[in-house]
Amino acid sequence: MRKKKHSYSMIWAIFSILIVFGIIKYASPYAFMILLGKDHTMPTPSTLMLWYMILGVLGALVYVSTSDLKWANFLSFMLPGEDDRTKKLLQKIIVLALPLLLGWFVYSGTVPGTASPVELRIQHPTLLQKYENMENPFAHVSEELKEKYTEEGKHLYQQNCRPCHGSKADGNGPFANSFRLRPINFTDPGTIGTVVESFVFWRIMEGGPGLPDGSTPWDSAMPSWEDTLTDEQVWKIIMGEYATAGVVPRQREEAE
Amino acid sequence: MNSFKIFFSLLVILVLQGFVSQVVEAQESSELVQYRNFFGIDARLVVWIVSELHLMFAAFVLGVPMFAVTVEIIGVKSGDIRFDNLAREFTKLLSAAFATTAALGGLLSFCLYGMYPGFMRYMTDVFHPIMFVYALLFFAEAFCLYGYYYSWDILKEKGKWFHIFLGIMLNVFGTTLMFLANSWATFMMSPDGIDLETGAVTSLRAAFDNFLWMPVNLHRLIANVAFGGFVVGAYAAVKFMGSKSDDDKAHYDWMGYIGNFIGLAALIPLPFAGYYLGREIYSSSPVMGNIMMGGAFSWTFIIQAILIGMLFIGGNYYLWNGMDRIEGAERYRKYIPFINIIIFFCFAVWLTPHNLPLSGEERALIGEQYHPFSKFFGVMAAKNAVVNLLILSTFFSFLIYRRANKGEIVKFSQHGNSARIALIITAGLTILYLVWYAMGLRGVELEANIKQYISPLILCIAIQIVAIVVTILMTFANKGKAAQILLLFVTVLIAVVYLAYYGFVVMEKANMVLRFLSVTQVSVVISCLIVNAVIDVFLFKNAKEVGKIRWGKIPLRSQYALLLLCVAIVTLMGLMGFIRSGLRMNWHIYGYMQDTSPGAFTPSISYMGLATALVVVLFLALVSFVFWLAGLGEKKKSSSNA
Repeated sequence: MRKKKHSYSMIWAIFSILIVFGIIKYASPYAFMILLGKDHTMPTPSTLMLWYMILGVLGALVYVSTSDLKWANFLSFMLPGEDDRTKKLLQKIIVLALPLLLGWFVYSGTVPGTASPVELRIQHPTLLQKYENMENPFAHVSEELKEKYTEEGKHLYQQNCRPCHGSKADGNGPFANSFRLRPINFTDPGTIGTVVESFVFWRIMEGGPGLPDGSTPWDSAMPSWEDTLTDEQVWKIIMGEYATAGVVPRQREEAE
Repeated sequence: MNSFKIFFSLLVILVLQGFVSQVVEAQESSELVQYRNFFGIDARLVVWIVSELHLMFAAFVLGVPMFAVTVEIIGVKSGDIRFDNLAREFTKLLSAAFATTAALGGLLSFCLYGMYPGFMRYMTDVFHPIMFVYALLFFAEAFCLYGYYYSWDILKEKGKWFHIFLGIMLNVFGTTLMFLANSWATFMMSPDGIDLETGAVTSLRAAFDNFLWMPVNLHRLIANVAFGGFVVGAYAAVKFMGSKSDDDKAHYDWMGYIGNFIGLAALIPLPFAGYYLGREIYSSSPVMGNIMMGGAFSWTFIIQAILIGMLFIGGNYYLWNGMDRIEGAERYRKYIPFINIIIFFCFAVWLTPHNLPLSGEERALIGEQYHPFSKFFGVMAAKNAVVNLLILSTFFSFLIYRRANKGEIVKFSQHGNSARIALIITAGLTILYLVWYAMGLRGVELEANIKQYISPLILCIAIQIVAIVVTILMTFANKGKAAQILLLFVTVLIAVVYLAYYGFVVMEKANMVLRFLSVTQVSVVISCLIVNAVIDVFLFKNAKEVGKIRWGKIPLRSQYALLLLCVAIVTLMGLMGFIRSGLRMNWHIYGYMQDTSPGAFTPSISYMGLATALVVVLFLALVSFVFWLAGLGEKKKSSSNA
């Protein structure tokens, strides 16, 4: 009796994989829409779908082969056995579904389409050496002066950066929707909070055109500001930008 | 035969042509030669392959003696001859691999001096006193190794402890050798003790004890043990599958188990050592840190995540299959599905990148820079939490494996005062460390608005200390099992649940605190592992056995898992070696001497993948050949006996 009960482990494994698929493909886009208060669903990117499904299948296979008995039960489902109509029906479904699934994979992978290429982005392009040890000239001034420069920086930010990056530095400026790659949301702690100030200085000064070849493909619309703003103005903007976004730059640690 | 002659003649012509072109090239240039290639092959590629092969053999040669001596000591203490035989078998592999390591080391030196003469001239100027010490220490290591291996029978009856002493000295000399060579590699990443303008040496001591030296030492030391353990495990798996007799099968099954145990035990603290090294790289140069985690090398860390995930899954899979040969293990099988789900969930989060490859359509649909999965799973706060959960789950697998055939336990109070004292010392030292770290946190100099975020970390440590004290008291009151569960539960609550949430808070408000948060997480988890492991030892000491362990009756799948673990750790070492070295980008010595050779470019991921795969195949082929050679004598012996 016990073996009969366990002999459906293949079905349970397939069922578990389908549940994982359902969660990633259908449930999570709606869950994120509700949780993050969006007006549209957040579909799971195809790369993640593939990775998570591989892990799902692998996880199921690992579990059903953790003992000889489990593995034998798993495989035995496809062997002819007792006269169990449900089992026979499920066997036929599996035998039919497997080649169909493979066929669908082959078809969807080779059918000509018009999708734009998937881009492998690098978050932090390699900083040029001349910027590595650059320091904010206002880093060691008195607190009063720091506050003054930060306020000036906030004004300069609103004048020059607001149209794209938004008045709250959240990447929602009036022009933001017109870009294919939206302007960066600085309030996200995973952005300017993870780099040192000289990195931001470089990105402002040289913008998209100044990105090294290794960072392509890159479709940043960030302009180069080195001909428009002075070095001092850029450092003030950086101070104002961090203050507006409510994040702090990565700090250098003293080498012990 | 003719085709062989033609091939041989062509080879000779090619080599001579190479020599002639090198000589002509050298004569044409009146200046000092800075770079050469290897008969037309890019110098960097050649050095890359040779140094990786040397490092892998060296890792094996340094890792194996550590556990060979440990196993020998266990053998002496327990009086079980199997341990002594196992230690001897480890040492047999070791002595076979030793000569290859030395030969590869020589080849590497000649490659470096031949192809990068300008750079090596400078390195010799800086480090020549240490290079002499290195060479002399090599004699000491060689004498200790041969003394250790060949005196096994002579010192078996009388002088066993002297034999062990030889083994310990082998470790001391080997580790010192590695530390010396590490200083050269880390000097290239974080130079110190020189004038960065002129290159003049201002302090040899500072150049030697440079900023990244100790973090790399620590990381390599632990990684070598994991590497050695998994390679030995794979050796045992191959031998197991080829064994004809039940005795041999039982022996190699046991050897594979020990290999996997050592590999996993070293793998557990490895992410912590890796985090320490990564953090120090950020401290040494935030730009190098950004290149590593967010820049040109960020994708290699996704590959690293996959390999580490494979190691944890493979290690657990082996343990679960191993429970098949333990009578009584069925009582604990109910936990496996839950551990499996947790491990795969952690793996999924662990490998989710912050920046996903997206098509234009997907980006438009998502409507912002990051998909929520990568926004929440792709950052350190989430990754630290899942790696800690992964480690705790693997530890839990160990616990249930250990108690699989154990029944009624002896009351803790019956173990006497020695058990109590051992437990008090363990808990005392762990608590002392936690208090020391908490005091350090209190004293950290930060701006007041950032420092306020430190207090919850101190509170977490305080709660963990209370949990440890309660755990110990419960164990004394003969409630050891419940105490272990309590400590695990509190640790998961603090290190995984709360600190994951708090990680996101500090990322937003005070990212300076993130580095302290990670160390707090590590400290809490390590304290739980140590205390629970020691409790476990006493808890099941002299416990009744409900069944036997049927060594040799393990499913073959588990042996393939051991092979997979070996391939994964070798690939991982190849990949991490590339990352560590490649982070300097186009610098020989970061910030001082630029690499102006044609091969100084940062390789693409596919180029790196091909080179690393080549290194892995070469290493596995070489090590298989060396092990085969080491086994020839044994075959002869057994055939003559027959």
